[in-house]
Amino acid sequence: MSGMQFGIFTVGDVTNDPTTGTAPSEAERIKASVCIALKAEEVGLDVFATGEHHNPPFVPSSPTTLLGYIAARTRRLILSTATTLITTNDPVKIAEDFSVLQHLSEGRVDVMLGRGNTGPVYPWFGQDIRAAVPLTVEHYTLLRRLWREEVVDWEGQYRTALHGFTLVPRPLDGIPPFVWHGSIRTPEIAELAAYFGDGFFANHIFWPSSHTQRLVQLYRQRFEHYGHGSADQAIVGLGGQVFMRRNSQDAVREFRPYFDHAPVYGNGPSMEEFTSQTPLTVGSPQQVIDRTLGFREYAGDYQRQLFLIDHAGLPVKTVLEQLDLLGEEVVPVLRKEFQIGRPAQVPDAPTHESLVAGQQQ
Amino acid sequence: MTTLVVVSGGIREPSSTRLLADQIAAAVRTELARANSPATSSVIELRQLGRAIMDAMLSGVPSTELEAVFQQLSEADGLIAVTPAFNASFSGLFKLFFDVLPEETLSEMPVLIAATGGTERHSLVLEHALRPMFSYLHAVVSPTGVYAATADFGSPTGLTQRINQAADDFSRLLQACGTRRRRDVFTEEISEMTRLLSSTKPGDAYDPSEPAG
Repeated sequence: MSGMQFGIFTVGDVTNDPTTGTAPSEAERIKASVCIALKAEEVGLDVFATGEHHNPPFVPSSPTTLLGYIAARTRRLILSTATTLITTNDPVKIAEDFSVLQHLSEGRVDVMLGRGNTGPVYPWFGQDIRAAVPLTVEHYTLLRRLWREEVVDWEGQYRTALHGFTLVPRPLDGIPPFVWHGSIRTPEIAELAAYFGDGFFANHIFWPSSHTQRLVQLYRQRFEHYGHGSADQAIVGLGGQVFMRRNSQDAVREFRPYFDHAPVYGNGPSMEEFTSQTPLTVGSPQQVIDRTLGFREYAGDYQRQLFLIDHAGLPVKTVLEQLDLLGEEVVPVLRKEFQIGRPAQVPDAPTHESLVAGQQQ
Repeated sequence: MTTLVVVSGGIREPSSTRLLADQIAAAVRTELARANSPATSSVIELRQLGRAIMDAMLSGVPSTELEAVFQQLSEADGLIAVTPAFNASFSGLFKLFFDVLPEETLSEMPVLIAATGGTERHSLVLEHALRPMFSYLHAVVSPTGVYAATADFGSPTGLTQRINQAADDFSRLLQACGTRRRRDVFTEEISEMTRLLSSTKPGDAYDPSEPAG
């Protein structure tokens, strides 16, 4: 798995299928997520990432439980999140959960941290949304220490103090899971990722690409500024959103009712407007290939591409067909094409093995 | 050269709101020219952006056309904002435009507020709706607004005099405020994060020169 990683990220929404008027049960949605993840491995994708939500209509409130189950049933797939809430989760619990998952999956885990944009989740978990930014910094600096220091003595503002605390289990091979910082539109997160030399994942799908370009450029410049390497060596991930049929007109016809009723952008701009303004691509596999290769023009050579394919009430059968197309027709071409002209100094996507090898050098 | 932008919330064509907006803009340009501070003005007609404004509110994604308008407004030295009075307030479209406008676009921007209505009984809409909203948006609202009732357009009620008075006050405000300092929220947020990261307590500090994974 050299070069780039390709995968999917899921929100885990339980949404009415607008063409049938029915929604899956929570049990069906959770099992569908597992089924989709297993299929992702089967068709040769590299990454499955789940969201984290604590309110209806979403089901993934406990991501490491889901990922642990998937880990047991896969051999190769990297398990990740999109995103893990660094603000409202206790950093000690994040460290513990991901350490256990790292051992169980034999290193096939990384984590994408985010602040979360659902207001009430903060008070539900005893936090204050107005302190979201300092909370992010405090929680993350603690998380880093828990993974890197044997015995932690720590005092902060937002969590009870720790004295003589040792995280168990220790990270696999002494290497913490790789950390991505996910951002929809906040430049602070790009700065945070750059400061620590972590990965930066631009959600990309809810914003005009000119803004994503600015965020990624900022991250790359600041990554270099903080001495982690040159700007083109920064670790960048991008979201994407696709719906494919072999014949592009079939894709447009089939996806339109899902687009028109999607919880996030439904009843707003037309599908044509949204596809021109954001990375959403509805069409043939070749159109998805062309559009995705275009991301490199404004984001530079990057490491991870995740697609959103299972939202807005799409039936699981349809989602699995999307995975077939991704695995058979899209990703093999993307792997090959993205490799062409990729400068030698651009790092491959990080894996546990590459981090272990880096440590040994 | 002072750059003025006029936002007109008029709905109909022709629109008395647009008519008032044009008269105010002309009067302000005249006042500024008299003070040796020539100005240009351009007009943003909200009606033409109606769908784009609603789409931006619903999806969070502004259209290219709307982004260009945001840019135009952010580069202005002053704003003349005119709305029809609907149901004891500004029009919904007028409010929605300022709801989707990026944060701090109007920060420290001199604004002349104006409204039109069927009768003069709605004139306090300036003080009860427009002024508080623009104050909240950190604009510098000119003390004198202009309200025009339908009858004002057909009788010697002193509308021209009120427009000239408001233009005089606004032009003095524009000159007194000088060149506007534009807030750059993007850069401010980065600086705030840089400050937070550099102030993490000893022991929390992480050597950022450690090579990336």
